[in-house]
Amino acid sequence: MNDSRKNTQHGASKDCHDFQAHLPELFGSGVELGHHPHLAECAACSALVRDLEYIAAQAKLLLPLHDPSPAVWENIESALSKTGGKGKRTT
Amino acid sequence: MQPLGAEAHPHNTQQRRNPPIAGEQEAIARAQQGDGKAFEVLYNLHKRRVYSLCLRMLGNVAEAEDLTQDAFLQLHRKIGTFRGDSAFSTWLHRMAVNVVLMHLRKKGLPQISLEEALEPAQEDGPRKDLGARDLVLSGSIDRVALERAVEGLPPGYRLVFVLHDVEGYEHNEIAEMLRCSIGNSKSQLHKARMRLRDLLRQTVSPEARP
Repeated sequence: MNDSRKNTQHGASKDCHDFQAHLPELFGSGVELGHHPHLAECAACSALVRDLEYIAAQAKLLLPLHDPSPAVWENIESALSKTGGKGKRTT
Repeated sequence: MQPLGAEAHPHNTQQRRNPPIAGEQEAIARAQQGDGKAFEVLYNLHKRRVYSLCLRMLGNVAEAEDLTQDAFLQLHRKIGTFRGDSAFSTWLHRMAVNVVLMHLRKKGLPQISLEEALEPAQEDGPRKDLGARDLVLSGSIDRVALERAVEGLPPGYRLVFVLHDVEGYEHNEIAEMLRCSIGNSKSQLHKARMRLRDLLRQTVSPEARP
């Protein structure tokens, strides 16, 4: 068992520290994290990555479902008519 | 690996989450010329996403509707300045984000300064308890649990998470909207997901864990 795996039994190793420090950039870069050498030897960081990927994937469940009430447009129309600014260019 | 795949192909993401909207360009041009009906078309095209953003940030229907109204009134005042340098939805979202942040600042809530919210926190170090936190989440969370967890995020984290993972904006677009660096956007998103992981784990009962 290598150091990285051993250390993750009770806490983060230096490898874990280095890997996690780069995670925001790694996620943002589109790199295939599944092939990252640290994950091949660290179950804890593998679990972390899987959880974060799962959360990101599940976020699609939160796409907008509801419209505002019709009163919102009515208020907008009312405000625009009061200011007489229907569609007036500002520049 | 949806999020990684999406980020590796930003244009695919753009097409999936923020596709070109039929009739939008024409409506923008007409609204810029003062056509009230065209402005109504734009409202109907974008009201749901603007309202959802406001609702997620405020957690209150009445306030979210007020701010949706404010955002579109501001759009009406400024639409003549839109030059198409960015996607219209990005431009409008930026306006809505500013309206929301202004509102939060007025309410005097903590962590409402974007600069403060986007500042690196002291929680960037490695997790000391990783070994005790193996696979728990996969297949165990639903929409309601996630909604609640997102509500529990600090506003700065919540904003970047909603814009990126829910709305599908790219980091460069978010950076433009929030006037922060791309690296800052990535960092905030990562912290948001980490916080969500913690929040969601608290909702998963031990019995439900694999």
